[in-house]
Amino acid sequence: MNVNLKIWRQGSDSDKGTLKAYRLENIDPNISFLEMLDILNIKLVKEKKDPVAFDHDCREGICGSCGFMINGRPHGPQKATTVCQLHMRAFNNEDDILLEPFRAESFPVIKDLSVDRKSFDRIISSGGYVSTNTGEAPEANSISIEKEYADEAFLSSACIGCGACVAACKNSSAMLFTSAKVSHLSLLPQGQKEGKDRVAKMVATMDEEGFGSCTNTGACSAECPKEIGQINIARLNQEYISSSLSGFLKKKDG
Amino acid sequence: MSIIKLLTSSVGRKILMAITGLLLAFFMAFHLFGNLFLFVGEEAFNAYVNKLHQLGFLIRIAEFFLVLFVGSHAYSGILLWIKNRKAKKVVSSYSKENTPSAARSAAFTGSIVFVFLATHWSTFWYKFNFDLQGMSYYYVVTESSVGFGSPAVSIFYIIAIALLGYHLKHGIASAGQTLGIVGTKYESIYDNLAAIFWFWIPLGFISIPVWFGFLVRII
Repeated sequence: MNVNLKIWRQGSDSDKGTLKAYRLENIDPNISFLEMLDILNIKLVKEKKDPVAFDHDCREGICGSCGFMINGRPHGPQKATTVCQLHMRAFNNEDDILLEPFRAESFPVIKDLSVDRKSFDRIISSGGYVSTNTGEAPEANSISIEKEYADEAFLSSACIGCGACVAACKNSSAMLFTSAKVSHLSLLPQGQKEGKDRVAKMVATMDEEGFGSCTNTGACSAECPKEIGQINIARLNQEYISSSLSGFLKKKDG
Repeated sequence: MSIIKLLTSSVGRKILMAITGLLLAFFMAFHLFGNLFLFVGEEAFNAYVNKLHQLGFLIRIAEFFLVLFVGSHAYSGILLWIKNRKAKKVVSSYSKENTPSAARSAAFTGSIVFVFLATHWSTFWYKFNFDLQGMSYYYVVTESSVGFGSPAVSIFYIIAIALLGYHLKHGIASAGQTLGIVGTKYESIYDNLAAIFWFWIPLGFISIPVWFGFLVRII
C-alpha cells in the first residue's frame, strides 16, 4: 500500500514548526505504524536528511512511551490501541495521514513528534507513592483485599501515563491521568495511609504544572488506549471533597 | 487544606461551580412554579406575586444569594475558561469527535444565559419592583412591550431558555461527576432527576412565551 504522510517537523520547543509531506510506497499493510515510520527514517537517513523523532520503547502497548496525534486523534483511529500496536491495515491505500505531537503547554516539544512529559512525573512524585517498610517482601496474604476493590484498582492502574488524555482534552487537562493514579492507590489498603494528603498534593501539582481543568467532556476516556474510565475522575473528586472536609476538622499543630 | 486553597484549586473551583449551579437549578424549579400561575389566570398570578412581595426582606435576602450564586458561578467559570485556554496548544488536525457539543459550548451558552439574565432583571424584575405604572403583574408579562407583548422579547426568551436547557444538559451531568455522585448508588436517581432540570423545566418556561406571545394571539 502507498501512504501520503504529513508530519510535524520542529527542532525544539522554541522553534516554529511546520508540516512536511512524505510519500511511502509499497508498504506492507501488516507492519506496525512505528515500523512504517522506521522505514521512512531509514529512507531519510540514506538521503542524508534529518529523521523524524518519535518516542517509543516496548512496542507492546504497555510502557506509555509512544503516542502522537494521527489525523487529530491521540494514538490514531483504533479504539483502545497505542500507536505501537496500530497497524497499517487500519488505513487504506493512498490515505493521507497527518502526524502531530501531543500538544499542551505542559508538554513542551522536544523534537518533531516527541514531547516532554516530565510534568506527569512531577504529579506522580508529589503524591503517587505508598509508605512501606524496607526489608524482605511481606507475606502476600497478610492484607486481604476484596475482589471488587482489587479489580477496580487494577483497572485504574492500567494507566500507562502516555498523555493521550491531555492531548484529547480541549482544555489539556490531566485529570484522567491524575485520577487514575489517585484511584489506583486509594482503593487499596496500602494506599490509604497517605490518602487524604495524596489527592491534595497531586491536584496542587497538576494545577502548578499548568494543565487545564476538567470540564467533564469524556474525550479523554474515549481516546485512552487503556480505556481508563470517567469513574476515576468522580473518585478523585470524592477524595478531594473528603480530604478538604477532614482538613477543616484537623487541629493545627505546628 | 485551607479553605482558600480549596476554593482556588481547579477542582475546588469546579466544586463551587457545581454547588452554585445546582442551587440555581433548584431556584429555577421554584421560579417555574410561580410562573405557571399565569396559566391559572390573571387574579391567581397577581395574588401570587403580591404574596411574594409581602415576604419583604426575606425576598431581598434570597435575591442577594441568587446574585451571589450567579456571580460566583460565572466568576469561577471565567477563571477556569482562561486557565483552560492557556493550557491548550492548537493542533491543526484536532478532532472534536469525542467531545460532546453541549460540553464544548458550555461557556458560550452560559454567556448567552448571562446576557439573558441581565435583560430579565432590567425588564421584569425592575418593572415588578419599581416601575409598575398602574399595570397589573399579569399585564406586564403577557401584554407589555417588555413582556411577551413584544415578539422580539418572546423569541429571545425562547432561544435563551433553550440554550439554558442545553447548558444544564452538560452542567448537571458535570456537577454529578464533580461532586462525586457518579459511581455511587445515587447515580441512577441523579441521572433521572437531571432530565427534569435540563429538559422539562426549560420546556415549562418556554411554554409561557409560546402561549402568551404567539398561540393566544392566533387562536
